[in-house]
Amino acid sequence: MITAAGLSKRYGAKTAVDGLDFTVHPGRVTGFLGPNGAGKSTTMRMIVGLDRPSAGSVTVNGKPYAHHRAPLHEVGALLDAKAVHTGRTAENHLRAMAATHGIGERRVREVIELTGLESVARKRVGGFSLGMGQRLGIAAALLGDPATLILDEPVNGLDPEGVLWVRRLVRSLAAEGRTIFLSSHLMSEMAQTADHLIVLGKGRIITDAPVADVIAGNTGTRVRVRSPHASQLADLLAGPDVSVMRSEAGLLEITGVEASGIGDLAAEHSLAIHELTTLNASLEEAYMALTADAVEYRTEALR
Amino acid sequence: MTTITPEISQFQPTRTTSLTFTGVLRSEWIKLRSLRSTAWSYALVVTISIGMALIMSLAMASGLEGGPDIAGAPVDQQAQFVVDASVFGVYFGQLVAGVLGVLVISGEYTTGMIRSTLAAVPTRRPALAAKAAVLFVATFVVGAIATFGAFLVSSLVFAGIDVSANLAEPGVILPILGAALYLAIVAVFALGVGAMLRSSAGGIAAVLGLILLAPTVLQMIPADWAHDLLPYMFSIAGMGIFTSTTAGPTADAFGVWLNLVIVLGWVAASVTGAAALLTRRDA
Repeated sequence: MITAAGLSKRYGAKTAVDGLDFTVHPGRVTGFLGPNGAGKSTTMRMIVGLDRPSAGSVTVNGKPYAHHRAPLHEVGALLDAKAVHTGRTAENHLRAMAATHGIGERRVREVIELTGLESVARKRVGGFSLGMGQRLGIAAALLGDPATLILDEPVNGLDPEGVLWVRRLVRSLAAEGRTIFLSSHLMSEMAQTADHLIVLGKGRIITDAPVADVIAGNTGTRVRVRSPHASQLADLLAGPDVSVMRSEAGLLEITGVEASGIGDLAAEHSLAIHELTTLNASLEEAYMALTADAVEYRTEALR
Repeated sequence: MTTITPEISQFQPTRTTSLTFTGVLRSEWIKLRSLRSTAWSYALVVTISIGMALIMSLAMASGLEGGPDIAGAPVDQQAQFVVDASVFGVYFGQLVAGVLGVLVISGEYTTGMIRSTLAAVPTRRPALAAKAAVLFVATFVVGAIATFGAFLVSSLVFAGIDVSANLAEPGVILPILGAALYLAIVAVFALGVGAMLRSSAGGIAAVLGLILLAPTVLQMIPADWAHDLLPYMFSIAGMGIFTSTTAGPTADAFGVWLNLVIVLGWVAASVTGAAALLTRRDA
């Protein structure tokens, strides 16, 4: 259980995290979404006491992280796959981390096997690929068999097999009653992994709801229309609540009107239609809709 | 919107171990010995110390370059020549110990390891204290191996001209141990500087600058205050620990113990500064 109350972080004049109130519950996977620069990593660093909040507080299982007698048994954190000395072997890194809490050699071997690092455990981390670095970071997070796991972009750099492995791992850890707090940029991945979502934009919470509710609540239904009279049809459909997007010649994506309405209108004006499809909303779209106003670094759409 | 909480009881940790200072000490010991830079640095300290002792004692014993007539000196002064040759390598060894001390902490900042360290030890100061303790003990042991090895080599060379020093004499054993102690102190002082600057290049430049450059600069300033300040410089007082011929202060020297106090003052400033910044700054 992670509880934030009025959690804020300012760097000079810039507010990175602005008064967050949220609770991450045990027994489920909570996804943490947001555009780059939204404050996800800063929030996660504050949970484990690496960054000091400018205001507000955050507790893990009722206490600030640093007040626990055995922090690594409370929270396992993968905050940055590169939080390892490149000159040390993976095994020695894990041994050193384990030693602080008196965690034995057996557990070190266990997490090495669990994360599939056996063949590289005696190699220096400097030569690791991004994917191996992620596995080592997850191994370190699991060392203390913690009740709460915080994973910042855990599938970053993993191959498809690794992505699947992380998904199964976090699902099974959540099923054991652990608290899982997971950030990712891959919305499709989040849709398959998370039960609950906290969406952040410009340092504030935009949404804190179950995944299904986020998808249902934040997307208007879109209709795809293919017609040789596309531009004529677009003019006819134009209205205050209707948005029409032309992606290629003869193809329209329309929001704000049902498929039936478009078909009727076309028939009324005797315009031929070659395709009329209602598109189902995805988490990706829900996310884009939610964060449209909160994107820090926007790429202009290609025309 | 409704929140669905599955009917799963919260996970109960079964582990019984907890964060202890002994554990943090063990962790820092694993970290220190699992880096190649540590092995290289310590090997260099021992090699320089023994190599310099060999060169110095050979030069002194052969009476080259108009050196003192050692064999003809009074017996009670002969031992001092053996000691001088034995600790000569420390002038160079201190630079290596300083670099190692900086790297022990700056390496964690440049690689990001510090975030793992501080997540495991969120109260932070025990991590710095354990690092300092492990570094001090390891460097002292290596320093002792280096200076005793140097003493052995010097003694063998001086035996050729019937000059010897007895390790049981306080005037012999204390400088030998004092030189090892000084190397350990340099390493811990450099650790504090490295922790404050969080950069390998900056930390090494600051430590070497203070050891090598600061005394030279002070000597070049033609003012009384610069002259008065000189004996308080880290490396001047530090080398006074094992080159001072008197235990207590005299008119022209601070003596061993006062020099030690001055150097420990430098270390205290460095380590407390590092501790204060470590707890205040974001990692």
